Amino acid sequence: MFVFLGLIFRFGPLLFGLGFIAPLTAQVIERAGWSLPYAITPLMAGLGIGGVLGLAAQLRGRWI
Amino acid sequence: MNAPVSLKSLSEADLMKLEREIARQHIDKFPYFAVAWAFANLAVWLSLWPLVFTGVLPLWAGFLIASFNVAACYLPSHEAQHDIIARPGTKLRWLNQLVGHLSTIPLVLPYRVARLTHLEHHAHANDPALDPDHSTHASGPLQAIWKSIQNRQPGAKGGEASYGETLQRIGRPEVMLDAAIYSLVFYGTLFGLAWIGHAIEAALLWWLPRHVGMTYIQYYLSWAPHHPATDKGRYRDTRSFRSIFGNICSMGMQYHIVHHLHPRIPLYRTPKAYWQMRDILEARGCRLEGL
Repeated sequence: MFVFLGLIFRFGPLLFGLGFIAPLTAQVIERAGWSLPYAITPLMAGLGIGGVLGLAAQLRGRWI
Repeated sequence: MNAPVSLKSLSEADLMKLEREIARQHIDKFPYFAVAWAFANLAVWLSLWPLVFTGVLPLWAGFLIASFNVAACYLPSHEAQHDIIARPGTKLRWLNQLVGHLSTIPLVLPYRVARLTHLEHHAHANDPALDPDHSTHASGPLQAIWKSIQNRQPGAKGGEASYGETLQRIGRPEVMLDAAIYSLVFYGTLFGLAWIGHAIEAALLWWLPRHVGMTYIQYYLSWAPHHPATDKGRYRDTRSFRSIFGNICSMGMQYHIVHHLHPRIPLYRTPKAYWQMRDILEARGCRLEGL
C-alpha cells in the first residue's frame, strides 16, 4: 500500500502531465476550434504536450 | 506615537498583568461569524459545480468565486486550530472539530496537518530550522508571491515538504497519511473530471483557484505579518502593519501581533484588543508599523 502510494507521488509530475494537462489541452483545442496539421487529434496533441511538460517537471523538480 | 511615560515605568510583570487583563476580555467569546463563514463558504464553493455544469453560472464567474472561496477557507479552520470555537471536553467541541475539518477542503489541507504544523509555527516563529512556515520568508511583496509559487514545485524544500519534516520532528509522521489521502482524492477528482470531458471546469473551479488562494493566504497570513521574519521572541516575531487593501482584504492580519501574543482571542476581536493594548505593546518594543 505505502510502496504503491510512494510510487504515485514519486511520479506525480509525469502523472499530472498525462492525467490532467493532456485532457485539459485537448479540450482547450476543441473548444477553441483549432485545427491541427498532419491529422493530429486534440488528444494526441494533449498527450504530447502534457507528456513533455510532465517529464520535464519530473526531471527538473519544478514546473516553472 | 510613544508609549505613555507611566507605562514605561512599569515592571515587566505589571505590563504582563495589564496585557493579560485586556486579553481576558476577548477570550472565550464564541466566534459566530467564523462558524457561519466556514459552512457558507464551503456551501458556495460546492454549489459552483452544479451551477457551472448546468450552465446557470458562467465558468469565468465560477473561477472568480472559487478563488475567493479558497482564499477565505483557511481562517475558520485557524479558529478551530486554536480551540477558539470550543475547547477540548466542552459541549460544542464537535463543532470546533467539524469546522476545522470541513473548512479547508477546497484548499486540500487536512485539519490535523494544519493544526500540528501551525502550533509549531507559534512555538518557533521565524526560526529557520523549526518554523514550518519560514519558507515563505522573502525580501519583498513580489518575491513573497514568487516564493509561494516556488514552494509548490514538485522538488521544493519549503511549503508542504517542510510540513512533512515538522511532523516527523514532533513524532507525528502518521499524520502525513491525511495529506496523502487528501492529495489522492484531489488529483483523482481532477483526473476523473478531465477524462470525462470536464478538464477546463476542473481547472477553473479547483486547480487554479487553489493556487490563487494559497498564494493569497501565504502572502497575507504568513509573509506580511512576519516580514522580515528575522527577529525571534514573544514581542518581536510578528508585527502590526497597515495593508493598502485594509483589514478585511488582508484577512484581519493587520493585528496579527495580538494573535501571536494571545492565540485564543477570536480573529474578529483582535482589532479591538490591539487598540486596547497598543500602548503596552509600544512599551514592550513591539514592531507597530503604521498602525
